[in-house]
Amino acid sequence: MAFDTNIKVLVVDDFATMRRIVKGVLKQLGFTKIIEAEDGSAALGELKKDSIGLIVSDWNMPKMTGLDLLKAVKKDDSLKKIPFIMVTAEGQKENVIEAVKAGVSNYVVKPFTPETFSEKLEKVLGS
Amino acid sequence: MSKDFDKVEKHIENMALEIVTLEEEDIQAMGRIMNALEAVEKGSKKIKHPQYHLLLTAAKGYVERLILGDTKDVSPLEEAIGYLQKVFRSISRGEAFQEDMSPLFDRLDSSSPATEKVNRSEGPEIKGVESSSEKSEEEQASEQTEEDREILNDFVSESLENLASIEVNLIDLEDDPENLETINSIFRPFHTIKGISGFLNLGKINSLAHGAENLLDKARDGEIRIEGDVVDLVLESVDMLKQMIQGVEQGLGTGTPLDNGMNIQPLLDKIETFQSESDNLGGKPLGEILVEEGVIEKERLEECLRTQEKTPGKKLGQILVEEGVAGPERVVGALRSQRKFGGKKGFDLQVKVDTTKLDTLVDMTGELVIAQAMLRQNERIVSIADQQLYKTLNQLNQITSTLQKTAMSMRMVPIRSTFQRMIRLVRDLAKNSGKQVALRMEGEDTEIDRNLVDELYEPMVHMIRNAVDHGIEDPETRKANGKAPEGVVNLRAYHRGGNIVIEIADDGKGLDREKILAKAEASGLITENDALGDFEVYNLIFRPGFSTAKEVTEISGRGVGMDVVKKAIEKLRGRVEISSVSGRGSKFTISLPLTLAIIEGMVVGVGTERYIIPALAILESFRPDKSQYSTVEGKGEMVMVRRKLLPLIRLDRIVNTEGKYQKPWEALVVAVEYEGQQMCLLLDELLGKEEIVIKSLGKSLKHIKGLAGGAIMGDGRVGLILDIAGLFEIAHENYRIAPIAHPGTGEALSDTRTEKMGSLH
Repeated sequence: MAFDTNIKVLVVDDFATMRRIVKGVLKQLGFTKIIEAEDGSAALGELKKDSIGLIVSDWNMPKMTGLDLLKAVKKDDSLKKIPFIMVTAEGQKENVIEAVKAGVSNYVVKPFTPETFSEKLEKVLGS
Repeated sequence: MSKDFDKVEKHIENMALEIVTLEEEDIQAMGRIMNALEAVEKGSKKIKHPQYHLLLTAAKGYVERLILGDTKDVSPLEEAIGYLQKVFRSISRGEAFQEDMSPLFDRLDSSSPATEKVNRSEGPEIKGVESSSEKSEEEQASEQTEEDREILNDFVSESLENLASIEVNLIDLEDDPENLETINSIFRPFHTIKGISGFLNLGKINSLAHGAENLLDKARDGEIRIEGDVVDLVLESVDMLKQMIQGVEQGLGTGTPLDNGMNIQPLLDKIETFQSESDNLGGKPLGEILVEEGVIEKERLEECLRTQEKTPGKKLGQILVEEGVAGPERVVGALRSQRKFGGKKGFDLQVKVDTTKLDTLVDMTGELVIAQAMLRQNERIVSIADQQLYKTLNQLNQITSTLQKTAMSMRMVPIRSTFQRMIRLVRDLAKNSGKQVALRMEGEDTEIDRNLVDELYEPMVHMIRNAVDHGIEDPETRKANGKAPEGVVNLRAYHRGGNIVIEIADDGKGLDREKILAKAEASGLITENDALGDFEVYNLIFRPGFSTAKEVTEISGRGVGMDVVKKAIEKLRGRVEISSVSGRGSKFTISLPLTLAIIEGMVVGVGTERYIIPALAILESFRPDKSQYSTVEGKGEMVMVRRKLLPLIRLDRIVNTEGKYQKPWEALVVAVEYEGQQMCLLLDELLGKEEIVIKSLGKSLKHIKGLAGGAIMGDGRVGLILDIAGLFEIAHENYRIAPIAHPGTGEALSDTRTEKMGSLH
């Protein structure tokens, strides 16, 4: 695989099961350092604590949505370079466009397979 | 060239640079191009060149498709940006741009296979997942890895938890139906369950969650309101999802299929039908409008609705016309009025008003009614024999009373939503106790003061729990007693006099007189010698510290007795009673004032003063016989009322005046009750019942014990409303009546009863 799996990945989702699924996929792809946060604001806290190499965030979360998190990350000079993958659901076209306009690195549509996810990661982390 | 133009030019140049190096699926670059296109659009408002704007729109549409993966070919975009440069240049030079761009427009349009779903971009991978989901879920059960099982377990517990939160949020939504955050929190669990079940190949759970999600998406967009049918649909979806998820749990435990064979199609169809109807129409259902207009009868409508269920896809209007139930012109008319008032427009027809403003309005109209009454009673006006004046006065009378009614009605809401919240409760209670219970409702349109709604919820929940838990028997017992296995809880609301009455009746086993008596004796509420009628016995359950629940069930019997209910209702100046027929069921009857702003009061005279006693507190009034009156050593004066000895309190002494009659058998006695305690007030005369608008006494007089407020009477004088609770306290201090018993102070309680009832017979 053409990307560095030693980086720390922050998985943001309000549903623990979903975090677990994403973690499972990441582990399959060789990542070992995975941190979790249950919404945008918790994620921001983690981002300030630790040096994170990749953010994988859900869109629809209470308190702070994935889009708001993305915008906050992009506003912060120390964070804005961190690759950001948004997880969205099918049929949420507007969300995707909005996230892309806000500078998301890539997006992945639920449900996804490790292969799809890996492809996206390659585009985001590769080269 | 203006500044805007400079900026636009810069954006176009940047895009031209970016596009050269743009690789397939470079999402971030596409985001930048998208933003640049939007900036160009914004800066080009002054440009009136239609082709230029069409080009911008088409380019944006194409970038969207690139982002969504509907197409991967970047070249049409490259071409479009090239043209954009050219068109912009000629515009800024003031030249006409003549080139034909239609081939480009074709390319921008045609390379877009019309796809709705984002997931098309995923191509073969997703198809792989989809085909694997065709694999029966039976097979999967055996294929699960340990990790899968753990995830499934997580999914079960987390989903169930989140589904439970939906109900709470639905309740919140009733108070604030347009709160997006609340709507979103109802939407979210469905959305997430849909997402995860997709991963876990739980096809049916996925479809149903998806259906419910779509429905709620409409609510998020403000297309539909979450009320009535929508609430039912959401709750039904929650239930079914719960059952299916529990099926997964079971399957995991036993190794049986994860799909427990639920049929979700009917519910999906219902959701679908609802959505397509809400697409075409808004506001009230067509049938309802026609019924209201008197075009069709409710029964006929229901027949047609059933027909509609059998023939999905057919519109109700069609069926109504075909069956000859309603003429086409009436249906069209109703559809038109539905559109006029329906949908999003309906929102605009409502105005949110601060309730304090409404309170002031109600207050002021109350004053107006009084001023108007003063006018009518004015002696000099009465003496004028003028036809015209009378006419005008009558008119004024009508206007003020209509105004008052309207002002009051503004604070009134149908009790429906409160009732509907009980559907859920009954369902859950029945499920938990293994009983079969149907909830029937009557008079849901009965209106009630908005301020009462929240206050009423808890006590009602309590009483319904009581009815289901202790009233209704389990199906076997019912069958053995010749009853239908399914018990019925009947909720009924109606207006009676100035009150709203709510009845909660069950057809269960009824109250057990002997058990209550035994329990009451054991807890010292009564003594063995008390001869109590059924009514009195049954109402003992409202006494503090009383509970007959033999075992503490999961839901009721957590140490909170029916006294809490009574207290809550009394706080609302209401009354609650219970009646029961052994073996046939029990009935709680709550009677509440229509509004908190007005009370029904008995105007009484003491000396030269007048006071108002809230009518709800009054048990009876009478002139006692000499033989009924007695003095008890150390306790003061007592009056025998219906074989009970009640303390007699002289109102004139409490209010510091002198009554006309000092001998009880010359004066009048009014028996009052508060929190199960009774006493008699000695006063001069009853002056009549009146509807009284309560006025606060203001801060400085607020703490005077025994007074609840003031009121302006019909003749313009001020009357004071007596606070019965306060009077009991005063009586307790001055006349050594035992204090009002509270739960936990068993001693005071038993004292009271012996004192008051000890000398019966």
